[in-house]
This record gives sequence, structure tokens and C-alpha cells, in this order.
Amino acid sequence: MSDLLTIGASGVRAYQSALTTVSENITNSGSTGYTRRTTGLAEVPAAGGLTTQGVAATGNGVQVTGVSSAIDPLRNAAVRTSGSDLAKTEGGIQWLSQIESALSGNQLGDRLTAFFNSAQSVAADPTSSAARATMLESANGVAGAFAGTGQALDQISAGIDATADAATTSLDGLAAALAKVNDALGRTQQASSAAAQLTDQRDQLLESMSAITDVSVTLDAAGRAAVRLGGSNGPTLVAGSEAGAVTYVHSASGGVSFAVHRAGESATFVPQGGALAGVADGAQRVADTRNALNTIASNFVDGVNAVQAQGVDLNGALGAPMFEAGDSPTDISMVLADPAGIAAASVGGGSRDNSNLQALATVRSTGKYESGLTSLAANNAATLTQRQTVANAQGAIHDNAVAARDSSAGVNLDSEAVDLMRFQQAYSASSRVIQVARDTLQTILDIQ
Amino acid sequence: MQISTSLFYDRSLSAMTSLSAQADTINAQISSNKKVSAASDDVVAWQQLQGLAQAKADDTAYASNISLAQSLLTQSDSTLSSITTQIQQAQQLALQASNGTLTDADRATMATQLRSIGDELVSLANTKDARGQPLFGAATGDTAVSVGTDGKVSFAGTGTPAGMPIGNGQTIQATDSAQQVFGVSTTSGQSDIFAIVGKLADALQAGGDVSAAVASAITDLGSASDQIAAARGSVGARGARLDLEASRLQTAATDRETMRSGLQDTDVTTAITELQKTMTILQATQASFTKLSSLSLFDYLK
Repeated sequence: MSDLLTIGASGVRAYQSALTTVSENITNSGSTGYTRRTTGLAEVPAAGGLTTQGVAATGNGVQVTGVSSAIDPLRNAAVRTSGSDLAKTEGGIQWLSQIESALSGNQLGDRLTAFFNSAQSVAADPTSSAARATMLESANGVAGAFAGTGQALDQISAGIDATADAATTSLDGLAAALAKVNDALGRTQQASSAAAQLTDQRDQLLESMSAITDVSVTLDAAGRAAVRLGGSNGPTLVAGSEAGAVTYVHSASGGVSFAVHRAGESATFVPQGGALAGVADGAQRVADTRNALNTIASNFVDGVNAVQAQGVDLNGALGAPMFEAGDSPTDISMVLADPAGIAAASVGGGSRDNSNLQALATVRSTGKYESGLTSLAANNAATLTQRQTVANAQGAIHDNAVAARDSSAGVNLDSEAVDLMRFQQAYSASSRVIQVARDTLQTILDIQ
Repeated sequence: MQISTSLFYDRSLSAMTSLSAQADTINAQISSNKKVSAASDDVVAWQQLQGLAQAKADDTAYASNISLAQSLLTQSDSTLSSITTQIQQAQQLALQASNGTLTDADRATMATQLRSIGDELVSLANTKDARGQPLFGAATGDTAVSVGTDGKVSFAGTGTPAGMPIGNGQTIQATDSAQQVFGVSTTSGQSDIFAIVGKLADALQAGGDVSAAVASAITDLGSASDQIAAARGSVGARGARLDLEASRLQTAATDRETMRSGLQDTDVTTAITELQKTMTILQATQASFTKLSSLSLFDYLK
């Protein structure tokens, strides 16, 4: 009867473990990155060859073979890849919509139109100081709008730098944490609750990294992750318990580059996904928009100043320049302060002449400043719209990947409730076995 | 497929969030009455709207120039009408002077009358317009005509007044120079109305046989009267052109507004229907979420 007692005791022990795992699943059903765990149960085999009255001996109870975690590496990889793609597109959208606000926020196009139209009022009444003052005020508005738009673009560029710095810093932190997890995984017994906890942490770190840049992950037998950036041939960021660092450089021409420094070596990589790819995309977009705006600003200043130079002002003197560009072509300042200084008349035309303002109207139609700005904003908006469509599709792909992963790895409270009941009953039944064993033995002991 | 509990909550949350965002977008479209507020809302429509806004601003500037030009032309017309009256008085005096029964004293009185007509003509010629500029000013000069110390009237400036922009590449000459209005080609060559009146006054003042001088003055005053009539005709024609241009701008503005409204304005009926649909789906989602989330096996474990 002693083996009945052993069997009952093994059942109590095993189902206690199983109940612990189920409780762990229930309490962590809301924890991010938690993977459903199961307790492996197996029969303890009978010792070979022992027979009782010619019948093979029954087993010796149940034992816990380990705690396994419902990890599916392929589905995890799918979540990472789709997450990288989505983060790249969303990063790009963030910068493109900021560019859109920068281009429209200062109403540069409206102010250019107002400036050229104020010149028409001066043409109607060339000696009117009110009309001239209005035109000078409009010119001031244009100068301010150019400067404001340029500064807004510069701020986006600064925002991109700040984002990239923050992203590389957190990537470094994630890499260092992953190296520690790798180290711990190497020293932890496999198929244990501790190992399951570590792999959960590893997968969560990898998912966070994939939101920053695309990662190529290879796992060894112990579950340690080796991470390469920028494709499967890119530089290694984490191998074993050693992690590298990522640096970011924004060149003056607007291009960005990233490099991994690890084990005394440095190698550049081009991120294909994640926020870093969005940063690279955004930086290029801002630089292109800035160049186009600079060209429009320079042409505008040159065009208006050339018209001024070929006419005479209200006092009969040759027109002085109206605008002056600062360090940046969009840092336009007014150098003409006197409304009488507007060169409305052609040389020899007299004070009531307005023919030089017709030259300004010609500069407006040949310079195409307003339509240039409109198409600059329209091109940006077209890209933005297209990216938003792509982001919607990528969002759906990512959602599906997460759903597929969670259908195997996530915790469902109803199934846990069923398990809880099952193991609780098995636990009670095992306790009953112990009692029966005791009662049976007592029957023999009671023989007098 | 097993739905994990946290996935169920995440999914429901994101579904309700996106429905709320959709409802908010439609609400913003209804309250602002604009379905295109940023370029990325509808690139093609936005680009067209920019063009329309620019054309509207341009036309507003042209419309104010047109109304200024119209007021200048109206002033020109009324001033020319006063000038005609003065010339008609001069013509009457010239006809009276041709009467042989008049004495030299009578003619001297007429000469005085003619001189005051001349002064009146000079003051009419130097009328200021709404801009504070000489109405009949040339391209240059602060006044239209100036009177010398010898009483001789001369044109102050040269050239024709600059055209006023009233449309894309279109200009109109809203005023005429004194040279164009008062210059007359007479029987004795190029002259002007002031000189004709002055010459007749001089002849009547001098007395004696004035018949030749009066006869040529009558002819010249007739030419001057024709000249002013022609100038008024030209002013009227330009006024008519401006009226046409103004009504063209108005039609263009109406067409533009129709187009802008089609591109930019929210179709309130559609938007409200869409909002109602979104709200119904959102409420249904909330209701089904509440029902599903209240279902738990744990409720039955006693």
C-alpha cells in the first residue's frame, strides 16, 4: 500500500505545480509580453521487470516534466517584421504631416498674392502714400512668412534629430538589456518557469527593438538571441552577452547615416524599417522641401529687387533693393523702409507713372512663386496621402500578425478557468487517494 | 482560433477608438463646413482651391481698381459737361459780338465776360480727382495747366497718364491729359481752348473791326465743342468697358464660388447621415463589448 501513498502524494505535488502555473497565467493575463505557460505532466514509469502475480506493475504516479511556454518563433518574427514596416511608415507620416503644417502655417502663398495685389493698388494710384505703405506692409508680411516657413522646417529637422537621438539611446538600452537576458538564459535550466520568464523578456525586447529599426534575429539552442541591424548581412548589435551601441549622424546636406559600434569595430547600416527608417525618410523630405523653398525665396528676392533697380521711386531716384536675404535664403528682411522708395515708375516716367509695377506683375507670372509653393505642398500631401493608405494596410497586417501570435501565446481566461477546475479536481482526487491509502493501511493495522 | 483575453480588450478598444476618431472627423467637417482643410485631405481639390483663392484675391484687387477708375471717369464726365457749358457761353458771346450794331464798350464788356469764362476753364482744367491728383494731369507735372505771368495758359506736363491695371494684363486709361482734352486743331494751326477764348477776348477788347476775329473764333469754338464732345464720348465708352469688366468679374466670382463650394464645402446631408451611421456602429460595438466582457466562466465557479 505504500506505493498508493506515493502515487497520491505525487499527484498532490504535480497538480499543485499545475495550479500554480494556471494561477500565474490568470494573474498575468493582462501583462504585456506574457506568454501562456503549461505544466508538462507525465506518468512516472514503473521500474522495469517488476511484476506482481504475473501482471506488469502499475506506474508510480505523476511527475512534472517542466513548464513550457507557448512561444511560436515564426509568429513572433512576423509580428516584428510587420511592426517594423508600420513604424517606418508611421514615422514618415509624422514628418510629412509636420512639413504640411510648416508649409501652410505661415500662409506664405496668401501673403505673396496679397503683396502682388497691393502692387496693383499702387499702380492705380502711384502717388498715394497709403497704397504704398500697404504694399510695404504686405512685403513685410511676405518676408516674415518666408522666414517663418523656413524656421518651421528647421524645427522639424531639429525634431528629427531629437527623435533619432532618443531612438538610438533606447535601442542601446534595449540591446544592453537583451545581452543581460542572453547571459541569464545561458545559466538557467531549460523548460523552467524562470526560462519561460526570460524568453518572454527576450521577445518583448526584440519587439521593442523592431519598432525602432528592422532586426534580423537568430536564436541558439539555449534561446539566446543574436541581433543584426539593417538586414541579415548587417552589422551585429547583440551577440551572446555582448551588446553594441548605435550612433546617428545628420549631415549638412540633409542625409542621415547610422552606425553600430561593437567589440572595437564600427560598421554603418541602412535601416529598412522602424522609426529610424522613418527618420531617414523624413530627413530627406525636409531637406528637399527646404531646398525648394530656398530656391523660391532667392528667386523672389532677386526678382523683386531687380524690378526695383530698373525703376525710379516717388522722389525720382533709382529704386533701392526692397529685400535682403540673411544667412539662409529664407531669412528675408526688409531693407526698404520708406513707402516713397517703391519704384513704381519707369525711368523718366514721372511721379504718376506705374509702368515699372507692370514689370513686377510680369515677374510674378514668370517667377511662378505662388504656384511653385502650391505644387511643393501638393507633392508633399500626395506622398502623405499615399503613406497613410500604406499605413492602414500595414496596420491591418500587423494586427493580424499580433492576433495570430496571441491565439497561441495569449491567455484566455475561460480556458484557464477550465484548467483551474480540472487541476483542482485532480488535486482533490489525489488527496482522496492518500486518504484511501491511509484507510486501507489502517484496515490491516486494525486486525487484532 | 482562440482569442486571448487581452487581445479581445485591445481589439475592442482600437475598434471603438477608430470609430470615435471617424465620428470626430465628420463632426469637424460639419462644424467647419469644410471637407478639405489640409492639402492631404484631397490633393487635387486643394490645389484647385489654392488657384481659386489666388484668382479671388487678384479679382478683388482688380475690382477696387475698376471702381476707382469708374469714379474717375464719372468725375471726368461731369467736369467735361461743365466745360461744354462754358464753351457754349463763349459761343453765344461770339455770336452776339458778330452783331455789327454793338459799340466798342459793349464788346469790352463781352471781353470781360470771356476772360471770366477763360478763368473758369482754367479752374475746371485743374480740377483735383479722388486721388488728390490733377484730373486732367499728364504723366508728369503737379497741375494740369499753369497760367504764366502774361496770363498765357500752358500745359504743365507731358505724356499721357499711365494706364490702370483692371485685369490680367489689361489696363485702362482712367483719365485724359489736359493736352488731349483742351488741345484743338484750329484754322490757324494747333492751338487750345484757352488760347481761342483769350484771342477772342483780346480782339473784342481792342475794338474796331472784329468781324474776322469773331468769325474765326466761332469756327474754332465749334471745333473745341466737337473736341469736348468726342472726349466725353471716349469717357463714356471706357465707362461701358469698365461696366462690362466689372460684371465679368462678378460672374467669374459667382462661378468660382460655385466651384469652391463644390470642392470644399461639406455636403451636410451626407455628412450627417455618415455621422449617424458611425454613431450607430459605435453604439453597437459598445453594447456588444459590454455583453461579451461580462461573460466569464469565473462567474459560474462557486
